[in-house]
Amino acid sequence: MSELEYPEDLRYTAEHEWVRTGDGGVVRVGITSFAQDALGDVVYVSLPTVGDTVAAGDACGEVESTKSVSDLYSPLAGEVTAVNEALDATPELVNTDPYGEGWMYELKVDDLAAVEALMDQAAYREQLG
Amino acid sequence: MSNGALKTSPLHEKHVALGAKMADFGGWEMPIEYPGGGVVAEHTAVRTAVGVFDVSHLGKASVRGPGAKDFVNACLANDLNRIEPGKAQYTLCCNDSGGVVDDLIAYLRSDDDVFLIPNAANTGEVVELLKAAAPEGIEVENLHEGYGVLAVQGPQSDEVLEALGLPSGHDYMSFVETQWQGHPLIVCRTGYTGERGYELVPAWDVAADLWDALIEAARAQGGLPCGLGARDTLRTEMGYALHGHELSTEITPVQARVGWAVGWKKDTFWGRDALVAEKAAGPSRVAWGLVVTGRGIPRSHCAVRSASGEALGEVTSGTFSPTLKQGIALALLAPTVAEGDEVVIDVRGRDVAAVVKRPPFVEVGVRES
Repeated sequence: MSELEYPEDLRYTAEHEWVRTGDGGVVRVGITSFAQDALGDVVYVSLPTVGDTVAAGDACGEVESTKSVSDLYSPLAGEVTAVNEALDATPELVNTDPYGEGWMYELKVDDLAAVEALMDQAAYREQLG
Repeated sequence: MSNGALKTSPLHEKHVALGAKMADFGGWEMPIEYPGGGVVAEHTAVRTAVGVFDVSHLGKASVRGPGAKDFVNACLANDLNRIEPGKAQYTLCCNDSGGVVDDLIAYLRSDDDVFLIPNAANTGEVVELLKAAAPEGIEVENLHEGYGVLAVQGPQSDEVLEALGLPSGHDYMSFVETQWQGHPLIVCRTGYTGERGYELVPAWDVAADLWDALIEAARAQGGLPCGLGARDTLRTEMGYALHGHELSTEITPVQARVGWAVGWKKDTFWGRDALVAEKAAGPSRVAWGLVVTGRGIPRSHCAVRSASGEALGEVTSGTFSPTLKQGIALALLAPTVAEGDEVVIDVRGRDVAAVVKRPPFVEVGVRES
């Protein structure tokens, strides 16, 4: 694993999720480099179902490592429009490429302004201390 | 552990320098995994090559004096008369109701000298119990911080020991007292992974240099330093009991199916009457393995039900098996359960299907000659 990185174009939550804004009010969600490193080898990811409606802060999935299990929280309110099915067979993508191939799910958000209210890279780094 | 600073191993600075993730194991701050490894890579290194573990948190105690063996034999459950000096034995320290205060390894050095390796968190209690029972002339000594313990585990273990000029290839559960760089060292053919391997017991101050030499030799064999995270997945794949999970003061050896470590023919050992009675009556619950057939990873205390919804018991340890790429668990289940039964594990509210199996879950070479 290389140095832990936090891309500048993403937004972050206190629960160590990242959010990338896409087209048409859809955002992509994953867990941060810090989160995957703290978990260790990710061996199982349970994701929400396409069509699920979630509220901000809802537990909507689980990420398990050899050592522990961690809830996946929805950073925003919206409807799940896609999930990363590659994680079924290759959950280790969460470790090797947390911001890329290791993404978790996509959400059509109710309020795009809420994305901007999440932490930016500097604020997230500061929270990590 | 309730309070106070964690104790640290003689290799603490080595672990910090390697960038290990550290955690509390029985009151000791020990490595879970190392960067560049991780639980799965470290586990695989042990199954396919070799891994070196610091297990210096394990207790060390000595019982010495005329008749030390007979004294220990009248206290601990296994029968030391089954082995000769130079052999080690897995044994149990039970309480009067048959519960297990600790499971430990006894090294029989001579009839007057027994060396014990209890679990980190239980060492104080085992030593106190033995001290309280010891007759005049028998000295029981807690040597927890007198020695380090390093485990070399995996099919390439012998090559690692040979590289250091140490004895290897001796019988399973036998030990050799030797020297390394002029310092006394015990090399025992034992371990907690299911692979061929050794546990080395050097003096506390010698452990760091020995670790460096072992790591260098292991890397030359494609091996890795391994943390206690991998040690746990390795032992779970074997179905080896971990005190506090599969064994406790509430879980007897009869229930845990470690009756093979009880000297049933002995006249006396702690917990004998309760255990003999339980064995005759049949235990109310029995240890089994579970292999997950669906998706999910069982964890300690997950409830286990029959396919028809009847409560059967609970998981004592669960993890992801890096070898099987599947969830596995150890569980205490109703005596009606049989091998091959299909059951359901409640994993945080989600039903996960599993099949009952007698561990080990993997094929291993721990006893190979």
